[in-house]
Amino acid sequence: MKPKEIDWNQLSSIIEKHKGEQWGLIPLLQEIQEAIGYIPPKSIEKISDAVNLFPAQVQGVITFYAGFTLKPKGKYVVRVCRGTACHVKGGRSILRLMKKELGLEEDETSPDYQFTLETVACLGACFLAPTMMVNRTYYGRLSPTKVSSVLAQFKKQKGE
Amino acid sequence: MEEISLAINGIRVSCTPGTSILEMAEKNGIKIPKLCYHPDLEPFGACRLCLVEDEKSGRIMASCVTPVAPNMEIVTDSPRVIKHRKNIVRMMIAEHPESCIVCSKGNRCQLRQIAAQMGIGETDLYPMPNYKQLEVDNPFIVRDLSKCILCGKCIRADHELVVVGAIDYNLRGFKSRPATLHDLALEHSNCTFCGTCVSICPTGALAVRDTKYVGTPDREEYTTCGFCGVGCSLLMGVFDDRVVEINPGGLHGSVNGATLCVRGHFAHDFLNARGRLTQPMIREGDQLEPVSWDEALSTIAKRLGAIKKNYGPQSIGLFGSSKCTNEENYLFQKIARTILGTNNVDNGGYLAGRSALRVIHERTDGGCRINSIDNLCGAESILVLGANPAQSAPVLSYAIKRAAKGGTPLIVVDPRKTDLTPLSSLWVPISPNKDCEWINSLAAILWKKFGHDTAFIERFTEGFGPYSDALSSFNPERLCLATGTDMASLERAAELLKGKKIAVVVGHGITQQRSGARTMDALLNLSLMTGSIRTKAGGLYVIAKENNEVGAWDMGTVPNALPGRLPLSNADARKEWERTWNVKISPDQGLNLIRMIEESEKGNLKALYIMGENPLRSLPQGDRVMEAMKKLDFLVVQDILHNETTRIADVVLPGAAFCEKAGSFTNMEGRIECFSEVVPPPGGSKPDWEILDLLATRMGHEKRYGSLDKIRAEMTRSIALYANLKENTNKNFSWIKETSKLRLFSSNGEGTMIPFSSLRPVETEITDDEYPFTAILGSQRFHLGSGTRTAHSERIRDFGLKGEVELSPEDGATMNLKSGDTVQVQSREGALTREIRLEKGLRPGLVFVPTAFHGNDALNLLGLIQLEDTQSQGFKMCQVRLEKLGDNK
Repeated sequence: MKPKEIDWNQLSSIIEKHKGEQWGLIPLLQEIQEAIGYIPPKSIEKISDAVNLFPAQVQGVITFYAGFTLKPKGKYVVRVCRGTACHVKGGRSILRLMKKELGLEEDETSPDYQFTLETVACLGACFLAPTMMVNRTYYGRLSPTKVSSVLAQFKKQKGE
Repeated sequence: MEEISLAINGIRVSCTPGTSILEMAEKNGIKIPKLCYHPDLEPFGACRLCLVEDEKSGRIMASCVTPVAPNMEIVTDSPRVIKHRKNIVRMMIAEHPESCIVCSKGNRCQLRQIAAQMGIGETDLYPMPNYKQLEVDNPFIVRDLSKCILCGKCIRADHELVVVGAIDYNLRGFKSRPATLHDLALEHSNCTFCGTCVSICPTGALAVRDTKYVGTPDREEYTTCGFCGVGCSLLMGVFDDRVVEINPGGLHGSVNGATLCVRGHFAHDFLNARGRLTQPMIREGDQLEPVSWDEALSTIAKRLGAIKKNYGPQSIGLFGSSKCTNEENYLFQKIARTILGTNNVDNGGYLAGRSALRVIHERTDGGCRINSIDNLCGAESILVLGANPAQSAPVLSYAIKRAAKGGTPLIVVDPRKTDLTPLSSLWVPISPNKDCEWINSLAAILWKKFGHDTAFIERFTEGFGPYSDALSSFNPERLCLATGTDMASLERAAELLKGKKIAVVVGHGITQQRSGARTMDALLNLSLMTGSIRTKAGGLYVIAKENNEVGAWDMGTVPNALPGRLPLSNADARKEWERTWNVKISPDQGLNLIRMIEESEKGNLKALYIMGENPLRSLPQGDRVMEAMKKLDFLVVQDILHNETTRIADVVLPGAAFCEKAGSFTNMEGRIECFSEVVPPPGGSKPDWEILDLLATRMGHEKRYGSLDKIRAEMTRSIALYANLKENTNKNFSWIKETSKLRLFSSNGEGTMIPFSSLRPVETEITDDEYPFTAILGSQRFHLGSGTRTAHSERIRDFGLKGEVELSPEDGATMNLKSGDTVQVQSREGALTREIRLEKGLRPGLVFVPTAFHGNDALNLLGLIQLEDTQSQGFKMCQVRLEKLGDNK
């Protein structure tokens, strides 16, 4: 399966909006990341033209920040916390379980572009440890059963 | 500004605010170790080796990025500083692969030097080498990023000095490395292979690819690059009397500083090429047989003497060289004028459009010669016409790009999208040959908008009245239409330039075109009107194709001028030189290059002496030139490489390349650069001045010079322009002496006014329905001129360039052509077969043909014409038609 088609018109209009704003590179990238789900490598030259930077510079910024990605991600991005508090509360087992359930390794995306599995140094919700996020929703006090039920919810949505 | 007082290592010093601690320390002779700092780059603070301690506050800081503050008490080698510094180096070494023994940076690796100085052998740390794949796909640069210490020097040199932007940091943390866009190999990026990053890299992460030699050279010597007219200073690494490595000279005040281009860095392989001439040869039937110098020179003296006696001095012609030194060219034309008694002496500069430049020379009385490239960074605006300096004179383009990046308005007027257009404020895609009309339209609009410099005009010029009247009566709209551009871009150009001094950069797109002289005339008017001459904020920069194109003209290796560019028609000038040389000089103007070929064809020219030129490759219609030369009774070729012309010569003399002799070149800025011998000439070859000196004595010159200094002494004594030459050493340079009698160029504010010239009428267009395309001929940065030397350079050959003909995608679609197809390009004069490439930046109707490829067959398209002939199309373009021959498989 292929990832979602890129809406090049939408992408161009975002770039056009920031034309000439060298300082606005990061907001521009954030908008693209938000709208498209990733920053298509083919758009780097268009972006660099618009903000008067070298393409290699724009690439450098994209690859520096974990928030930007050059690869398309799944519809649901699962981020498992690997922070200290979560680790103490069994975060490693949660990750192992997640790998098994999704059949993915870290930073991998399922071939049908439904799921991407990532780890995060800390989600900042230690009081809920062990934690994870699916897109923008936090799930805390995880247990193997809870993990399965959360995932089932998204897998079900997929089936619909 | 008030100075700041502080202490460093117990010594009280003062310096201006804003100085970094590192600069202050170096000024006071205190050395601080550093890896990421370079004086030409913005300080960056990446390596942290330059740590120092302020004893007062107890702070430890990187001295390269910390400005001095009052009352600091800096210590550069306190125990704390040493401890931290050692730890930094230990960690760098722990990440570094253990390949020092086979690393080509060898003893010059700065990391290794610093580790050695600090006594760090074993790091006592767990080694964590960061292995990366070695990249050796191109013939120039090897990237071994395992050895990268992330100092960012390559990246900053790429962004700040050469302004190409091929690389930047990619990824983060342990994975972080400099990378091209999409992390591709260099040849798939926009890298120009200038090699600046290689020379600046402190470790072996970036190295020169050379299969011949790995290691540290025996010695390093300074010289001046022998390719284009920029005249970069080079540092040549020598091993076993062979040049094995080239780095930028990095000399203070030099044109190039820490930069070079692909030719300067990698194309000097021809020095060690197998095709080098190493012994004199004389033709025996079909063969050239080796002979002694004595025999070769006697034969030449005898044969030339006999031809002069039988057919008269006008039956002998001499091709001098825009690649040979000033001293050699001086001697060469002196032999022609005083011993042989002819003015039939010319050099390759004719092809580069010397006749167009004569307009400037005559109108300014030889002024306007000194234009330091360094000034471009301070120019108020830059106007580039008919030039793609990033290909023809790359180091000049760096200065333009730096200025543009810093916000200087840059206008590019060129039918093609050039390497400068992405950084320009405006690109005017003009129709070929229409520059003159466009400049006049621009002047008319500026005049209308009060964009002229009244004070300058009143003080230095005359005839502005009639000129401005003509401008007022001008219809820029109508003219603008004829140039193929729109009024909006003209208005925008005027807006960008109004009230500013203009630095005009002129390339061969102007000087080689048929209306070159008219265009130069119009440009000078524009420069005068805006007061842009003789100011650092403006200037007139004319790109010289070859290293000593300017000097060869100055030395009088031209048919119509004596040394010092004095016109031959000027009786006083002739008299003066007659006195100096103690002979009678023929007042008859000599034949230029093209006329010499024509006269050979007719059988009027009997002998030709060629020094350092390969006319069979560099002149249009190589076959016709060959036939003409075969008709000669006697052909002498003095050169460094076996080439098309040496093959048909009667006598071949092996000369020396620039770094194998001493001498001086004059670059496009008007800078005279002296250099001494780096390596001895190979085999039995001799420096060209020595050959000429020996020959002159045999032909009746009263006394041998015997040394370069004596030739130089005569030059400085009798050529006013070169009066400054004597103080020169090879790390130093001088400038041409201003001799113009115009007030504009005099130092005391006296002298005559410079006149505006009248607007010249519009020329009718040459069109040819059978040949619907306009082909533009131009150079690519990997080759110089006709490519005789660069084609002998192994690494340039290995790069495998095909020199594709470029065509617009629109024309490609109509003709059903795609990139990689083979076409025949045909003009009225000749044809060539090449692959094509569809190029977006090209206007429909245009074709770009790169020169210097495939024996320089591009010149077959041109006619053997006189550039001054208004009916000719010049050496830059011609009408062609295309025919598809084969598909891209």
